[in-house]
Amino acid sequence: MKLTTMWKDALGSLIKPAATQRYPFVRREAPEHLRGQLHWDPSACTGCGLCSKDCPADALEVIVLDKKAKRFVMHYHVDRCTFCAQCVASCRQGCLDMESDEWELAALDPRTFDIYYGNEADIASILDGSTEEEAEPAAAG
Amino acid sequence: MNTLRAVIALLFFPGGLFILFAGMAYEWVDRKLIARFQNRIGPRWFQPLADSIKLLAKEEVIPTDVNAILFVVLPVIALAGALASALYVPIIGLEPSYSFSGDLIVTLYLLSLLTLCTGLAGANTLDRFSLVGATRALTQMFSYEAPVLLALLGPAIVAESWKISVISEYAKSHWLIITQPIGFLVAVIGLMGKLEMPPFDAPEAETEIVAGALTEYSGRGLALFHLGKSVELMVGLTLVTAFYLGGVANPLLFFAKTLMLLVVVAGVQSLLTRLRIEQTVGLWWRYGALLALAQFLVMIAYEGVA
Amino acid sequence: MQSQQGNKFTIPIGPQHPALKEPEHFEFNVDGELVTGASVRLGYVHRGIEKGTENRSFVQSMYLLERVCGICSHVHATAFCLGVERLAEIEAPPRAQAIRVLVAELERIHSHMLWLGVGAHEAGFDTLFMYSWRDRETVLNLLEDITGNRINYSTNVLGGVKCDIDREQAAAIRQGLDFLEERTTHYLDVVTSDMMFLRRTRGVGVMTYDESQRLGAVGPTARASGVARDLRVDAAYAAYDKYPVNLVTETAGDLEARFVVRIKELFESFRVIRAVLDDLPEGDLTTRMPRRVKEGDTISRVEAPRGELFYYIKSNGTDTAERVKVRTPTLPNMASVLTLAVGHQLADMPMILVGIDPCFSCNDRMVSVKGTLDSQCWTWEQLRQYGIEYYR
Ligand code: SF4
Ligand code: SF4
Repeated sequence: MKLTTMWKDALGSLIKPAATQRYPFVRREAPEHLRGQLHWDPSACTGCGLCSKDCPADALEVIVLDKKAKRFVMHYHVDRCTFCAQCVASCRQGCLDMESDEWELAALDPRTFDIYYGNEADIASILDGSTEEEAEPAAAG
Repeated sequence: MNTLRAVIALLFFPGGLFILFAGMAYEWVDRKLIARFQNRIGPRWFQPLADSIKLLAKEEVIPTDVNAILFVVLPVIALAGALASALYVPIIGLEPSYSFSGDLIVTLYLLSLLTLCTGLAGANTLDRFSLVGATRALTQMFSYEAPVLLALLGPAIVAESWKISVISEYAKSHWLIITQPIGFLVAVIGLMGKLEMPPFDAPEAETEIVAGALTEYSGRGLALFHLGKSVELMVGLTLVTAFYLGGVANPLLFFAKTLMLLVVVAGVQSLLTRLRIEQTVGLWWRYGALLALAQFLVMIAYEGVA
Repeated sequence: MQSQQGNKFTIPIGPQHPALKEPEHFEFNVDGELVTGASVRLGYVHRGIEKGTENRSFVQSMYLLERVCGICSHVHATAFCLGVERLAEIEAPPRAQAIRVLVAELERIHSHMLWLGVGAHEAGFDTLFMYSWRDRETVLNLLEDITGNRINYSTNVLGGVKCDIDREQAAAIRQGLDFLEERTTHYLDVVTSDMMFLRRTRGVGVMTYDESQRLGAVGPTARASGVARDLRVDAAYAAYDKYPVNLVTETAGDLEARFVVRIKELFESFRVIRAVLDDLPEGDLTTRMPRRVKEGDTISRVEAPRGELFYYIKSNGTDTAERVKVRTPTLPNMASVLTLAVGHQLADMPMILVGIDPCFSCNDRMVSVKGTLDSQCWTWEQLRQYGIEYYR
């Protein structure tokens, strides 16, 4: 039995820098395998939709514009994603990948959480469509 | 002229504003030191001030079924007691602004006022955590009060006076920590018990009874209790330093001495586990009181022989 | 469990209380400082997870079940994967099984160190709390390095694992373990020799062997009372037969013994992880997993950091489970808290409660709702609607 056992730690800490990290000012380097934001590479995608089927959080939508011409758009909801990497494991073509250095994803504007990957013209056509869809009920009401 | 001096002493220096800010500074040092002992960064220098301002600005919720007058007045009395005691002790090594023979006893009672008010405040509300906290606070008070009194009477006896200024004058030439080590120990630990610092924080053990007697307090009342505690920390450190660590001296040296004492107190706080209330009581009556008494007897015997 | 009668002085702990990090309601009847009766009300964090699995495919359910517990998420996924793989009559490759063991043991280190800190905090020894949590960062960083997430690692997929261990990672793990081993030795010294800390743990909350059997305690809580039961030893799953674990038991049954058992288990975990790294089988990480799982039911049991974790899985031949039943180790241990509480000081309550390493949200599996429907069987939609109505 000793009166105190941690005095060495305590005294040692007086001369050591604090273990607390001053986060927004100092960033720890992200490890290589960190699961950050998802990225989609359209070149090999077959539009099979397995990724979105297996996603536990409904964070992925594969929008097929023209299956033959391989015109797909990937709609990714960052705010729903749980970074489980199931989609990466499900995709047989290896189209999906998670970036280790994009992990500060918090934002004030909810629109930043809606990410569309794919051909810009295709995205534009989808966005037009969706705004029209939204506009319709508003006009009716 | 005299009234002006009294007003200044009460409102600005050494009482009033000065002691409030100094108390907060000591509180910050205490918190920072504990954080450093635990390898954390700890609060920035203005944190206690910011806490107080925030609390003072907030709404004070008065629970139903309490005596509202008591609820409001108790924190004021607690703080007033602590502030008043500052007038009789040699703050930062200066002569106390008021003194009369017997002021030691008065000061000790003024310092106990805070605990008494805390206990009453707890008993005043119907909250069950407050009631348990109040019981514990008062129990703890009864356990440390006597040994601490004995510990502070030691210097009084050798200085042959009940006057704080005389005792600290005497202590200037006699480092009483050497002749009365047990008294010093009991006084320091008693101070920690009074301030409900760990390991004597059973009355406000957050993992058991939330915030103890002050659970129902918010806003202004809470701020005043906290300020009272900060002031007591400073007054208590000053008293122990003046009695045991070489009495009043040049302010800088005196300040350094109180800081050293604070380092020790912070170390004890961070290294020891909280005692259960019955363990606290046992500790004080079984060891504290007996040791203080033993030293007391030795001293009296010595005086008698000499 | 025990009802409160008369007008006794009752101290409520929870659902909101600084001692509890999760909502649960305890009532302690006290006489002065002495506790004379205890009761608990569970069910504040029921999340309908079991029901939720009935609407998700097996693949998706795994991630849902992983969220039963934030601290021991990997064992939940492992238990589910092992069960579903057995139903589908496949087996994950040896390398995958070894990595499952590795991550499970890292998770155990993370969980036990977290508990050590919480236990110290409840006792009012914040310095130990701060240091043990500081050191826990090491193992969290290792897990992040291996899996990509700090908690809810999602290491498993049905039929294997997602992450591999390369040479660099192995070296990093070994380095981390060396540091942790040194610190753990120190903590063992602290909990067995710190006089003030022992005053709060030694001889407090003693549960004898017989009592622990009668109350059905599991995990480290039972092992501290001398019950030699550990699924990693008794019914080795995944790759535990290849990397055997030595059973750690203590006989005293008090809080100190629970601290000691958990800390000694840390040393076992270090040893097992090193064994895995020394002898990691080569090969694939996954096997092909059919989407539809054959009809049948199975029981899957694993040793979570808190004790035995039990899964019952029933498949009806589709890609969705017919029924998943989860029993987490906190539930069987809860009875011991209520029994041990009586006769102790109020100040010991948080310690005794934390001594079983409770995880309330894991625990809250079932609530009986007195609803408007006569039927015992509710659909997901009805439950959702009920929830919306209830909280309106
Ligand atoms: S990482 Fe998981 S949650 Fe995120 S998109 Fe992929 S499958 Fe969905
Ligand atoms: S799983 Fe792969 S190939 Fe299939 S839709 Fe998703 S990204 Fe494309």
